[in-house]
Amino acid sequence: MKPHQAPVIARGIRVVSPLAIVVGVYLLFAGHNSPGGGFTAGLVFGAVVVLRTIAGLHRPRRTIALIACGALLMAVISLLPLVWGGTLLDQQVVTFDLLILGTVKTGTALPFDIGVSMIVVGLVAAIINGFSAMPLDEVPQREPHRMTAAHTKQSGVT
Amino acid sequence: MVWVLFVAHLLAIPVVVLAGRRSMQAGLVAGALAPLVTSVWASVELVAGGDPVTAELVWVDGLDVAIALRADALGLLMTLLVSGMGALVMVYACGYFSADAVGGTRFPATLLAFSTSMLGLVWADSIWTLFIFWELTSVTSFLLVGHKHVDSAVRMAARRALVITAGGGLVLLAGLIMLAEQAGSPSLTAIVPIAGTQATAAAVLLLIGAATKSAQIPFHVWLPGAMAAPTPVSAYLHSAAMVKAGILLVAVLGPAFGDVATWKWLGIALGSASVIWGAVGALRHCDAKLILAWGTVSQLGLMLTLLAVGTPKAIFAAIALLFSHALFKAALFLVVGEVDVRTGTRDITQLGGLARSMPVAFAVALLAGASMVGLPPLVGFTAKEAAIEAVLKLSGTAQALVGVAIIGGSVLTVAYTVRLLHGVFGPGPATSVDTATSADTSINTSVKTSANTSSALAPRKLLMELPALLLGMAGVAGYAAIGVVNHIVGTAASELNRKAAVYELIMWPGLKAAFVISVLVVIAGALLGALLVLRGPRRIPSSVGANTVDGIVDGVIANSPRLIAAIQHGSLPVYLAVMAAVAVLAAAVLSSDFASGHLVWWDHPIQGALALTVVVAALAAAFVGSRLGAALALGSVGFGVTGLFLVHGAPDLALTQLLVETVVVVGFVLGLGHLARRFPPIRGSWRSVRMTVAAAGGLAVTAALAAAGANPTDRAPTEALVAGAVDEGGGNNVVNVILTDIRALDTLGEVVVLATVAIGILALARVRSYGASQA
Repeated sequence: MKPHQAPVIARGIRVVSPLAIVVGVYLLFAGHNSPGGGFTAGLVFGAVVVLRTIAGLHRPRRTIALIACGALLMAVISLLPLVWGGTLLDQQVVTFDLLILGTVKTGTALPFDIGVSMIVVGLVAAIINGFSAMPLDEVPQREPHRMTAAHTKQSGVT
Repeated sequence: MVWVLFVAHLLAIPVVVLAGRRSMQAGLVAGALAPLVTSVWASVELVAGGDPVTAELVWVDGLDVAIALRADALGLLMTLLVSGMGALVMVYACGYFSADAVGGTRFPATLLAFSTSMLGLVWADSIWTLFIFWELTSVTSFLLVGHKHVDSAVRMAARRALVITAGGGLVLLAGLIMLAEQAGSPSLTAIVPIAGTQATAAAVLLLIGAATKSAQIPFHVWLPGAMAAPTPVSAYLHSAAMVKAGILLVAVLGPAFGDVATWKWLGIALGSASVIWGAVGALRHCDAKLILAWGTVSQLGLMLTLLAVGTPKAIFAAIALLFSHALFKAALFLVVGEVDVRTGTRDITQLGGLARSMPVAFAVALLAGASMVGLPPLVGFTAKEAAIEAVLKLSGTAQALVGVAIIGGSVLTVAYTVRLLHGVFGPGPATSVDTATSADTSINTSVKTSANTSSALAPRKLLMELPALLLGMAGVAGYAAIGVVNHIVGTAASELNRKAAVYELIMWPGLKAAFVISVLVVIAGALLGALLVLRGPRRIPSSVGANTVDGIVDGVIANSPRLIAAIQHGSLPVYLAVMAAVAVLAAAVLSSDFASGHLVWWDHPIQGALALTVVVAALAAAFVGSRLGAALALGSVGFGVTGLFLVHGAPDLALTQLLVETVVVVGFVLGLGHLARRFPPIRGSWRSVRMTVAAAGGLAVTAALAAAGANPTDRAPTEALVAGAVDEGGGNNVVNVILTDIRALDTLGEVVVLATVAIGILALARVRSYGASQA
């Protein structure tokens, strides 16, 4: 679909996207004490990607980079405690004061969660990009292969 | 200090790669530094004789997984061999390879990586550490053997070595795990003596593991093939370092199997057979390098036999042999390498008369050969005396078996040494070979049959002669300073058996029984050798064992596509049906203690309404004909389950489920555009199979869940988790603290799965778009 084909939907998704991202970020930070968390936040971001794909709007394309960054972040967070003599995935809790906003407590769980959400977004984006690799107009409206148990003996690679 | 040395090795590898870009020689020099420092450290520690040096890096605390290193006297002796020989071989390789040799970034770095893995192996104090480094030495040795990978014969030899040694590593792992289970700790120092059926099984597994690495019958077939490696590699891996790993393993684990008959007799059988067959093999071949390789099989067999015998004297003799063998065998390899480079052949039927033209090499070969057959004044003599004395102390069947092996093996050893030295250096067809053949072309396994007329040799290379001379002289020096050798060997052997400390190597035993036997052995061997030399060359035997192994591997490779086509036939419905059927079987086991007493219809009536929605939607998804309708019905199932979670008081779960369903439904809408509107018709029998599997799956899961709820344990884990979440995780949302802290390792694993799936999807999409552009 092109944005001009369904202007109302495209416009609506364009307006909603930043709001949804704010919700996702909220869920990411709120996760430690109330419902939310990295996985949920990643799904919200993923939903934004899916909607924008449907509407034909701009969306992240470099999913490999996203996944790689997420995995790297998580690996670093996991291995970091080993450097100062802890064990793998040991959590560090940090508490500090922000003048007006009050006391803030956070820890290495936050970047860990950020890594999770990056990988989830990457996965959703990869699936969606995979689906939309071929434009819908060119799709034949009949079954390409009809697979039944009787004739499934061909090798896995087609 | 152990860490410093180890990390220095690791850091040196990339440096060596960079240096290797300039030239092979620069890389080799850079690679020699870390082993050189390590060998100096090891010799200082050995002479000082302090407590074992240990180091540990805990990885996963609860699972006892750690990189544990421990360098005791035996470990330091091995360190000296591994690192000292490593440094020498790197220097030697500077001369061996010509200045314009290819592979400068690869070869020195791989050699150093091997040296590092070998250090980890000899220092390992945990079964996990041992196994990891054991397999790393297999992999790096595969790369080193396959250095001349353009030649398909070399590739085959490297593959054979990898298959046998890495496969043996897996057998070893099984044995090690059994040992650790008995001892209750993965530490090698904590291993306790074991008995019973388990001990028998573990003994067989561990001996097979050791035999594959140390090239014992019938796993020795990889070692002659591995002579396809450049000669520095053969000198290092196949005399001093890697093949000693199996011997070291048997030595270290020996105390745990002191009373296990299988260990003793299987070890003696493998070892004795290898002693004789290896020596016979050495007599049948004409390639100087193959003679040495078969000789290695024989001598490793002798060490294994002595260790399996397990008396303090035998252990002492085995360690003494291990030390002296590394010196003389490496020296001989280095000499053969030099002969190869300078004459262009290693065939003893073509070589001859090199005593005058290569005096240094001749002197070294004479010293090393004399040490190998056990002549004074060399360290090999004292080791062989100790071995014969150890046999004389035995009684009964053990004495007969080991005696035949050691005396027969020694006679044959003398014979093949005479044949080798005579063939290369003695009078014979004056060597007339191509001078232009340089190191690069002479690495081939196939013996050259060039019959050139020019008799000049390639120029001498000091870098090749110096290490060989050093090793040759070390045999003499060890004899002269027998006290130092005694100290080193004695402390190492006493690590294995306290009683071994009382023995020592003797410079001149006088007219004792062992010495008389020794003299007779040398005379008999020399006569046999002379006879074989006079009889002249015979047909070279074909390598039946190696061909069998290659045949098996080729057969597996050739037949695997058919197996894969049968299992991975590419039909998603069949995959799903198989997975569901397996899940049914798994759930059926659980549902054996099914009970219905604790079941209630609902906690709240709204659950009933939601459940009804879920059931109706599920039925609709199964029976509706249009794909879009099925997708929407599936979505309804998901949203119904979300409602159930919410009513049950699990907002986190509900939120996640809701989002997943939303994304999935929208994804379906996108994906369905690529498919026909309606499902294709399904034929009768397949349809009933699918229905059966689906119904059985539903029933089994229901029954398993009911069974799981029927037997509550004492206390729900919730309390501990809640307390842990607030105290340790510092968060109030227990679900998320479990995900990010308490069970963070699980999360990490799941995320890795997600990332893998994503990469797979990207690859599929790329293949598809590639296919579309081709069409």
